[in-house]
Amino acid sequence: MDTPLFGPFSGPKPGEHMLGPIQKLDVPMRRYGRDDEVDFVIVGVGSAGGVLSQRLARAGFTVVGFDAGPFWDVERDWVSDEAGSHKLYWTDQRIIGGSTPITLGENNSGKGVGGGSVHWAAFTPRLHPSDFRVYSEDGVGVDWPMSYWDLKPYYELLELEMPVSGPAYYPWGDPHGYPYGPHPVGGTGATLVKGCTKLGIRVSIGGPVAINAGSHGDRPHCIYRGFCIQGCKVGAKQSTLYSHVPDAVEHGAEIRDNCMVFRINMKDGRTTGVSYYDSQGQEREQRAKVVIVSGYAIETPRLLLNSACPGFENGLANSSGMVGKCLMVQAGNVVLGRYAEPVRMYKAPPAHALTEEFYETDPKRDFARGFAIQTVGPLPIAFSKQMIAAKGVWGWGLRRVLMDYNHWSAIALLGELLPWEDNTVTLDKDVKDQYGLPVAHVTYNMHDNDKKLSEYGRKVVEQVQWAAGAEEVVQEQRFAHLVGAARMGSDPRSSVTNSFGRTHDIPNLFVCDGSLFPTQGSANPGLTIQSLAARTADYLIWQGDNILHRGRELEGTPPVRRDLSPRGTSGRGVPRLKSKGGSDTIRSVRN
Amino acid sequence: MSRLGAFLDRLINGPSRDGGAPSIRLPEESSQGEQDIELWPVEPTTGQPLPPRQQPGYYPGYHTLGQKDFWDEATRKLVLERVHDVPAIRFFSAEEVTLMEAVVDRLLPQDDRREAYRIPIVPQIDKKLYENIIPGYRYEDMPPEQEAFRLGLQGIQAVADHLFGKSFVDLGPTEQDQVLLTLHDGKPPAGEEIWKQMAVTHFWVQILSYCCEAYYAHPYAWDEIGFGGPAYPRGYYRLLNGEPEPWEKEERRYAWAPPPSCLSDADEAVGHGDITYLPGQAGTH
Repeated sequence: MDTPLFGPFSGPKPGEHMLGPIQKLDVPMRRYGRDDEVDFVIVGVGSAGGVLSQRLARAGFTVVGFDAGPFWDVERDWVSDEAGSHKLYWTDQRIIGGSTPITLGENNSGKGVGGGSVHWAAFTPRLHPSDFRVYSEDGVGVDWPMSYWDLKPYYELLELEMPVSGPAYYPWGDPHGYPYGPHPVGGTGATLVKGCTKLGIRVSIGGPVAINAGSHGDRPHCIYRGFCIQGCKVGAKQSTLYSHVPDAVEHGAEIRDNCMVFRINMKDGRTTGVSYYDSQGQEREQRAKVVIVSGYAIETPRLLLNSACPGFENGLANSSGMVGKCLMVQAGNVVLGRYAEPVRMYKAPPAHALTEEFYETDPKRDFARGFAIQTVGPLPIAFSKQMIAAKGVWGWGLRRVLMDYNHWSAIALLGELLPWEDNTVTLDKDVKDQYGLPVAHVTYNMHDNDKKLSEYGRKVVEQVQWAAGAEEVVQEQRFAHLVGAARMGSDPRSSVTNSFGRTHDIPNLFVCDGSLFPTQGSANPGLTIQSLAARTADYLIWQGDNILHRGRELEGTPPVRRDLSPRGTSGRGVPRLKSKGGSDTIRSVRN
Repeated sequence: MSRLGAFLDRLINGPSRDGGAPSIRLPEESSQGEQDIELWPVEPTTGQPLPPRQQPGYYPGYHTLGQKDFWDEATRKLVLERVHDVPAIRFFSAEEVTLMEAVVDRLLPQDDRREAYRIPIVPQIDKKLYENIIPGYRYEDMPPEQEAFRLGLQGIQAVADHLFGKSFVDLGPTEQDQVLLTLHDGKPPAGEEIWKQMAVTHFWVQILSYCCEAYYAHPYAWDEIGFGGPAYPRGYYRLLNGEPEPWEKEERRYAWAPPPSCLSDADEAVGHGDITYLPGQAGTH
């Protein structure tokens, strides 16, 4: 068929703010006045900020969420095109250095409402129980100030709210099942499954991934077009833009988009709100009882450092000196195999099969911790850049390799690299951004354990490719994700916040995003970030005004507020497998 | 061609290119002069030059643009603009454009394409530099993008002058490749002052990446490599075994080798393996 039956597909109706083809933002958004003091200002409406604003608004608080980028109308603003998706990424200037610099921008940095959850591939494995105790168990890194079991109820909640599709039985870490069925396998998944099966390595097929395997409320099912990282126009892949922000707006949260917060304001050792440049470039102020910084692992420390003022000369919440330190990335080496028969890896979500068989520390290896192996599905431009690095091709060699695009299958390592104090986010002395603010200078050095782990992991992935029948195997060295740089901990001398993201130094200033991670495991961080946000929200709701003053806060753990899930997500999708450790999953889905 | 003939042709070869003639297979003739023959790829066993094609690659008759009515409105508008409205040069000077064109012709050669089906690369790079559409990170040993391109061109000119005593644009294809190969290997023999201001391998990856961002964003390149192109709202159905959708084409390979004049067909690590760390730039997971 040359053309659709009823002519070319048309765009959305005028005047409608579309979130996917069906979901609309159809309630008027509340706007707070210039002089209003709101309960919460959230800086950055991404993975964490989206969940926080939803929970806090639903609990009845007044919330303003700021984002430096737009509140997307995805039918109009997004395209099913690789080059045309540049605007989804944080591309303001940043400087990178160190012995193994981290590339930023499209690699790991989002901008606009939904943030990183707009361009993530949406793999959603949980951290393992061991990830919270790497110092106790392996003598490396640092322990978390909380355990897996503290976070587990929130994993279960978010897996329903996103929702997550995956196998009924997931064998690694704390074994569990997923509420929605797994996805069909694509070309790269078939390669991974074939290679692993031959080597006797267990694989998880069709998830866990936060992509709708069936339609879910007003969000359609996946259509397997492979443009996950370019923003899901379909509305099938979870972004907080779809799953949480509409519910936040419906409950009175204001999302102030295209507004760049440049300073957290302080008075008498407490924050009073934020100063920002609005969409017209005008300097403005918003007062708040509590400020939560959710700008991710580079913009969060940058804002804390840029907010230095008398009494906080080294930046806010930085008495430990840990703001901007222990930035982490994961080893993300992409190992590409060329096959005699076509693979067509552009079809199906890039993320759809993985193994965590090598996740835990193995005393037989000469390094601590481990790695996962996951499918990826680079589109042509990303693939060409991988080949420039992996094979050194240019000219006719480049053209020749790219003509074989459909014969390649890309499988990636996701390895745990440890926190080191020399991996930093600092303010650049010389370079300013478009607002005149010092830009972030990001320094990264791999250490001995990191190098051994990534080298070992790469070789295992290569073996998987060979076992699957590849005729040629090459690799591109790469990093994935960004976490750390404002870590949580129980000791104020070596951490920035407590386990709920409350800064040790300033009672009404919180951090909530990937920067909180003390270590990172070999799981993609998105699910953990959103789960931590739900936990922080429960803490804030439980504390109420007690949080405003040091010494008045309630001691203990807040109750899990399952009643605050977005509409239509509670009680749907039943995990068939209750995990050990006293899960109350069944109760949670019936309420 | 009769209406039935046209119908069968469309059935067999797929829908026509956007606004173009139906995809009747035209005799493969060159519109270029004899002097370009040394730039053409060759048949590997006989060494016979292969004349430029409308569509190189292994998917004859496959045209992503023919599927444009199945795309969403925003994507259709963007991709058609990319094809029909080539941006005017605003960043590079006239002299720089000539040099850029010559360099890009070797970094990403298109001599196997007929003139009318070549993909504009330099105008897209120019647009990015003029509008400051940047990747969002800069190595601490690199100047801003705009300066890097200006310096890089000077550096290439300096190497050409050092090796051959001529401007890069006046060199033959093999000599031009020789100049570029010194950058690829991370060892340019001239322009020391320039390479002190920026790391040569970072510049190499930068300029090549910009070329790929323009070339592989174009529907003609998607047709060449058999990529599905925009796929919303229709999506894909045949996910396994590399099978084509009903509107895609099976691969039909043919043998070709780069022109003997070229030095760019080897797989050789950038920096000759001396640079052990060349980090990936594109987000994949």
